[in-house]
Amino acid sequence: MNGRRIGVFVCHCGGNISDYVDVAKVREAVRDEPDVVVAETTIFACADATQQDMVQAIRDQRLDGLVVASCSPKLHTFTFRGVAKRAGMNPYLYTQVNIREQDSWAHTDDPAGATEKAIQLVRAGIARTRLSLPLDPIEVETTPKTMVIGAGITGLRAAIGLADIGLGVYLIEREPQLGGWVARFGAMYPHQRKGWELVDQLAAQVRRRPLITVFTSAELTAKSGSFGNYRTEVRINREVPETIQLDVGSIVVSTGFETYEPAVGEYGYGIDGVLTLPEFKALLDSSKGELSYNGRKVSTVAYIYCVGSRQPDGNAYCSRYCCAATVHASLEVARLSAGVQQYHLYRDIRTYGKYELMYTESRERGSVYMKFPEEAPPAVARGADGRLTVTTRDLLTEGAELTIPADLVVLVTGMVPRKNETLMGVLKLPVGSDGFFNEIHPKLRPVETVVDGVLIAGTCQGPKNSSESVASGLAAVTQSAAILKKGVAELDPLVATVDAGACEWCGRCEETCPYAAVSRAHSDGRDVAQIDPAVCKGCGGCAPLCPEGAIDLRGYTDAQIRAMIDRLVEVSTA
Amino acid sequence: MDHYDVLVVGSGIGGMESAIKLGDMGYKVLLVEKEGSVGGRVILLSKVFPTLDCASCITTPKMAATIHHPNITAMTYSEVMGIRRGGDGRFRASVRQKARYVDESACTGCQLCESACTVAVPDQFNADLIARRAAYIPFPQAVPKKAVIERAGTSPCIDNCPAGIKAHGYVSLIRSGKYEEAFQLVLDATPLVGSLGRACYAPCESGCTRGELEGPLPIRRLKRFVADRHYREMEGPGVTPAQPNGKRVAIVGSGPAGLTAAWQLARNGYEVKIFEAAEEPGGFLRYAIPAYRLPQDVVEQDIANVTALGVQIATNSPVSDLGALRRDGFDAVLLATGTPLSSGLGIPGEQLQGVVGGLDFLRGVRHGRAPDLHGRRVVVVGGGNVAMDAARTARRLGAETLVAYRRGREEMPAHQAESDDAAAEGVEFRFLAAPIAVVGDSAGRVQGLRCQRMELGQPDASGRRRPTPVPGSEFMLPCDEVIAAIGMLPDTASFEAALPIAADRSVKVDPHTLQSEIPYIFAAGDVVTGPTDIARAVGQGRRAAHMIDRWLTNRPLTGFHALDDRLAAVDTAEVLGRQRRYTRHDPLVADVQHAALPRDFAEIEPPMREDEALQGAGACLDCGVCSECGQCVAACPPSAIDLSMRERTFDAEVGAVVVSTGYKLFAADLKPEYGFGKYPNVITAMQMDRLIAPTRPFNTILRPGDGKVPERIAYVMCTGSRDKTVGNPLCSKICCMYSTKQNQLIMGTLPLADVTVHYMDVRAAGKRYEEFYQQAKDMGASYIKGRVAKITETENGNLILRYEDIENGGEIAEAEYDLVVLAVGVQPNRDPERLFLDEPLGLDDYYYVAEPNEDLNPGKTSIPGVFVAGAASGTKDIVDTILHAGAAVAQVAAHLEQENRTKKVPV
Repeated sequence: MNGRRIGVFVCHCGGNISDYVDVAKVREAVRDEPDVVVAETTIFACADATQQDMVQAIRDQRLDGLVVASCSPKLHTFTFRGVAKRAGMNPYLYTQVNIREQDSWAHTDDPAGATEKAIQLVRAGIARTRLSLPLDPIEVETTPKTMVIGAGITGLRAAIGLADIGLGVYLIEREPQLGGWVARFGAMYPHQRKGWELVDQLAAQVRRRPLITVFTSAELTAKSGSFGNYRTEVRINREVPETIQLDVGSIVVSTGFETYEPAVGEYGYGIDGVLTLPEFKALLDSSKGELSYNGRKVSTVAYIYCVGSRQPDGNAYCSRYCCAATVHASLEVARLSAGVQQYHLYRDIRTYGKYELMYTESRERGSVYMKFPEEAPPAVARGADGRLTVTTRDLLTEGAELTIPADLVVLVTGMVPRKNETLMGVLKLPVGSDGFFNEIHPKLRPVETVVDGVLIAGTCQGPKNSSESVASGLAAVTQSAAILKKGVAELDPLVATVDAGACEWCGRCEETCPYAAVSRAHSDGRDVAQIDPAVCKGCGGCAPLCPEGAIDLRGYTDAQIRAMIDRLVEVSTA
Repeated sequence: MDHYDVLVVGSGIGGMESAIKLGDMGYKVLLVEKEGSVGGRVILLSKVFPTLDCASCITTPKMAATIHHPNITAMTYSEVMGIRRGGDGRFRASVRQKARYVDESACTGCQLCESACTVAVPDQFNADLIARRAAYIPFPQAVPKKAVIERAGTSPCIDNCPAGIKAHGYVSLIRSGKYEEAFQLVLDATPLVGSLGRACYAPCESGCTRGELEGPLPIRRLKRFVADRHYREMEGPGVTPAQPNGKRVAIVGSGPAGLTAAWQLARNGYEVKIFEAAEEPGGFLRYAIPAYRLPQDVVEQDIANVTALGVQIATNSPVSDLGALRRDGFDAVLLATGTPLSSGLGIPGEQLQGVVGGLDFLRGVRHGRAPDLHGRRVVVVGGGNVAMDAARTARRLGAETLVAYRRGREEMPAHQAESDDAAAEGVEFRFLAAPIAVVGDSAGRVQGLRCQRMELGQPDASGRRRPTPVPGSEFMLPCDEVIAAIGMLPDTASFEAALPIAADRSVKVDPHTLQSEIPYIFAAGDVVTGPTDIARAVGQGRRAAHMIDRWLTNRPLTGFHALDDRLAAVDTAEVLGRQRRYTRHDPLVADVQHAALPRDFAEIEPPMREDEALQGAGACLDCGVCSECGQCVAACPPSAIDLSMRERTFDAEVGAVVVSTGYKLFAADLKPEYGFGKYPNVITAMQMDRLIAPTRPFNTILRPGDGKVPERIAYVMCTGSRDKTVGNPLCSKICCMYSTKQNQLIMGTLPLADVTVHYMDVRAAGKRYEEFYQQAKDMGASYIKGRVAKITETENGNLILRYEDIENGGEIAEAEYDLVVLAVGVQPNRDPERLFLDEPLGLDDYYYVAEPNEDLNPGKTSIPGVFVAGAASGTKDIVDTILHAGAAVAQVAAHLEQENRTKKVPV
């Protein structure tokens, strides 16, 4: 395509870019680049009004190339591809140049240098665009089925939600029975309904829905294919283990959490009468009359919060649900046996939102709250009289050191990520510093992952209470339905291609491909590499390894990359 | 009726997420947003926690995706008025599309209307830190980027004006220094700018909302100010008439009605000729209003506006044969001859020498036939404005003057100012005195006026108490002259043959069209209405011109609303209610010196100085918001602005409803001990978010009191949350985190600033929130546990916080800061309560939309088919809102699928 007509838009991003990059100077510097017919600056390139202007410019100037110099392609590639599409231009003739994250924000101390760098980056972007070719997305039919992994409250509710929208569901549970943690819980906050009743209700609903197939004692062991059409293998651990193949369009991971297990000696853990929160909850839920432990009536309970959470040298994160859960448990204690003395040794009480009402009620019912200094946590010991004592400093009473005798000490332990090596190996989901699965964007895309069509819901993504987990499970249902309900999915055509004539089949590409997109095929009696475009992610890992130079990456061809480098080098030496 | 699968109410992050996901699934969505742009509150934020992503950058793609989605119909600046359930289980929603007064398809978002607009109001999109215009685009990233002209109604000053003059408009133009534009705006209604600026009784001022406070704006004198300036500095009216249309109109009478009609018709290309019986034009302006109130040269300047457009005025040309005018080639005739006759007293002795009618007396004086009344005793009979004019004129001619009136002072029809001025000039008053005979001497000259004392009985038809004679109370007022100013009448005797004339001698016309039984004859002004005032006559003249124009262009004379773009008058209570920061403006009174015995007819009222004009206009409360000054209309390149636009209501049938109406922020002035609204350097966290946003109003963080860049900044957490004293025992959840975010951004922008957070508990509960909080502490933010009890201000605008330092021994301590940020909490938005007309939407104890089965069905409300997404059901941060919207959408889809299945399989 010779004699291209390219439009370039350089964004101020409010002041995010223009505070450091002389945006007008960048425009002036690139307006005479070959094939550039429009060069503009804009306050917010992403603003709808600017998008309209771009559409107009593409139409009026009959552009066949578009360059927007603004922020990270992670943010706005799809925005401006959309602009191109609305204007009737092939979206793949668009190039995003990042002059914010990789320029203005990185060089706040050097505006002149940042401006020069922006000019070079934009020139390179133009060079790439001059060699761009129109591409069409790869359209694949999708399988209207979703696999839900984990049948705790999140997975159960998600399965029902999917079936109610008309999608088939395979519900895979590693344990022999459904229900996860919630199935073990009695009354839960804030609605006072019992966990096992909720689970029974959901399990009954699951059974009534023919669209849901449940596999217990089952584990996902392999996954291939791509978004919209995953082929999975599930091992069912019966007496004679069996592996079945299931085809699904998307996967919802709702594998839940483990609870923090204190080390022996941590806040007296190991001493009889020192319990973790789940142990205490089990005791409470099984109590029929007054609260008693080992046959002895409990008259004093001390709770120590943030055990295993918010630790500078342990789990740094806050476990979110434990404050409210503990406050609720203390209210349950008060309901069970009115006279029990309860002491809460805390750092911050995080009964956010409406849960604050439980905190208020608990204080009104006699619970005593004491704030201990972060640097001086309470100490638990068994005294000579056999009773437990907790020694703490209470910042709320002028830092007084107090010793509280207690019948039970409850270590308020939080959630930790579940260990599940097999699944993590199969799904290749990234985890965060806290060990929980990472979403693609923590604000706006909390159930999506970097693996298209693999969604995370419930506590496997991070600590949540039961109703929050259910909400995220349903959000994953929505996300699945949004991609599967249409029946077809469009995949990015920016994939690797093989020049079969040049390929000598050495197999290096197949070895390096992390997505198993390369296979050996026969062409004209020769072995050659073949790349499944629906599986290829366009990472480009194979292209430089090919000794024959037979692999090229669409949208990032060798010619384009070379042209970009040439332009960058040419400017910097000039 | 339009049909959709789902109605989404509110387009914040929860509404947009719901709409997009439902659209992606293939459902047809109607999204209704009350503001002019989609986006809700997130788009206004600086960055978001804990990622510090730029809020604009993550929100704009969602906004664009919403508006461009093929399955979403997004209606901005619209409101859902009510939702009812149909028999089939679906819903019928009534949607009001508010008038933007801007043609959305033509508006290019160029913002020239904003620059031209003369009204500034607090900018809600900048948390009231700065002002925006009444013509505005909500914010730079608005979607759609289309202007809105905000009109709360017509301002009372305009609504009160019988001439339809845009008083608010010229006040706001004067305030902006656009004096000539202000003159032109009045000129748009009438050529009599100078006359009205002096002699109008200013009903605008009686309507002025400031009148309920310190006193009204000097609206009439502001008009005089622009008239004086124009006539001093400009040649001619500065108006170019339309091309001649070949049609001719004759106007009989050159008073305010006739002149105004002539002006309007001539501007529209008509050839107009005025026939005036007197030797000079102007009617009452020239003959009835004394020169000390309305100097002759001002009347002449006003009349020159009319003649400048080519209108001919034939003086000494009484008309008695209207048919002759028609035969002379006039296409229409307007009769505007006023009420030139004085009513007689109807008592014995009326024919005596020395008895004169009030109008005749005034007319004689202005004709240069002023009698010398030095040493004479004059009794003026009557209590109206003409009586006052006559009495004050008599004083100027040297007379001892007494006004005899048969009722009391309260019942006098004259304007209070007129009677006060008369009294100040030495005119005496005798109330409850009814003349029963004029007594003369043998030569037939007046000797005195015999009167009877009256007392006031029950109110009569006019609402005034009826005077009844006190028997045996007759008395004599000795005098040399009697001026009878008890009423005026039209002079219509010569038209009786041609036109129907009423008993009170007025011409009978249709009161709406002003057309008589003879189609080509129209009549306007006092000849129709009986004696009124200049403004009413001007209004009649405008109406007549408008009707004649419609009639001559074969357009119907009925079936349209008003002659201008007036809306219903705005409620003054609403105006006063929205004043957040009220500044006292004492009324500006003209420095008028009344002489006890005035000697000449020089104008009494001094002209208004420019500084007075700016001060006077500056007190305007902008009652209707838009002042109707018309500057935006003139400035808009594609002529997209249309003030005649009206709201549109339509019905939509939907299968399900998502309520995503979000939340309100706590009104910080409800914690008076924190001084918000009183101390300028106490701001809310939303204001701080604006100060650090990419589209920030200033280029740095500064404190509003004096623009100083703050060095010590305090955060007061839990303002309006966890606080029974304000009725909100709930935790607002987001404040800890948005404050932590702001702390980090402030420390980035102002590296030397100290940030201190006064907190109760730091609730960093969420993924990576605790780490984010620790990061703020590592960056240097200090945290002090303990609620702030009180804030006081020092002389230099600094603030002293009184608090309990719980972690350090619980001492009561004080600390001084430059700037205090109140971390205001979340309040329910009460809008959803009135959405559902058949069955109430269930709410929780704190007025959030209830979710009866939150444990398994989050987002489901008490009404089947109605769902809630986001903070409408309780405080949520962005990610929780996204998840909650996702949960709601899954159930919406399930509901719709269920509905489809039921429909497909007949039961």
